[in-house]
Amino acid sequence: MRLNSTLVASDAFEKHLINRKRKNSWGKKAAVYALMLTSMVDMFSMLVVFLLQTFSTSPEILINKGLVLPNSITASQVQEAPVLSINKDGNLYLDQKLVGLTKKILKQPNGLMKELNVIKNSWADHHAGLAFPGEINLQADKEISSTVVSQVMGVLTSGQFQSIQLAVIGLR
Amino acid sequence: MRKKVGLGSKKDLNADLNLTPFIDLLSTCVCFLLMTAVWIEVGSVEIKQSHGTEAAASKKISYDLDLVYKTPTQLSLNLKKNGRRVRSLKVKAETAEGFQIKLNQVISEKILTIKNKAIEIATATITPRTTVNYGQLIETLDTLRKNNITNIGVLSAGGR
Repeated sequence: MRLNSTLVASDAFEKHLINRKRKNSWGKKAAVYALMLTSMVDMFSMLVVFLLQTFSTSPEILINKGLVLPNSITASQVQEAPVLSINKDGNLYLDQKLVGLTKKILKQPNGLMKELNVIKNSWADHHAGLAFPGEINLQADKEISSTVVSQVMGVLTSGQFQSIQLAVIGLR
Repeated sequence: MRKKVGLGSKKDLNADLNLTPFIDLLSTCVCFLLMTAVWIEVGSVEIKQSHGTEAAASKKISYDLDLVYKTPTQLSLNLKKNGRRVRSLKVKAETAEGFQIKLNQVISEKILTIKNKAIEIATATITPRTTVNYGQLIETLDTLRKNNITNIGVLSAGGR
């Protein structure tokens, strides 16, 4: 607002603008754009704390697409071992490789046994003189019949994979 | 001319923290942690299928527990002492959630205590059924593990 050729402020914001204009008119200064670092550092610190809290050293195990694992409150840390997964569509995968239909494999487990023997032999080559631990991770969809899972476990046991780790989603 | 020490014009000490390396470190930390973060934590429940090895090795009086599924919400519990049945109980509920609560109650109150004495279960064997899905089997395993029964096996014969 201009009154008798002088600037008069009508509200606080206008007063601030007038003051700025007056200051600028005294001598031109270089514009300084300061980034508010405090809030950024705060945000970074909070992110780091959150990520450190959720940090896990357990080995990463891939879950097949479309496979829904059951939840468990007593889950322990997963071990690094071969992964056998039974999908809801009826297919059986060993380390992400399709072995065949679960029903067929349960009737004729030779194909799966061959694959398991390859794993066993390669383990024996890398760990000479040590007894085979027989560890395997078994992933199965939570909707699959428990008898199918138990039959697959039977095949694994006969193939010297006796320490079966059932994969679950750990609830804290 | 000699410079006078300590008598010159005093400048304010600059106590500002240099934030640049601090931000660098934090950004690196955030990137590393975001890349290595595991969003879905996969756990495992151990099953010991080789019966008659660990349990038979000890000469203590051992109790074994058989859990035989009838339906998804009905199960019979058989407690055996040195192979002979000592106690037989049935657990039945209307819902799956109620079934697990009831199973937990029966195991802690009627199985793990005999004549006011706490007993230890050497092995537990679950006999599954076609109508019982894998998720329900895991829930039962959870209930057993909650009651410190860790040596668990699943009967691998084809169920009915």
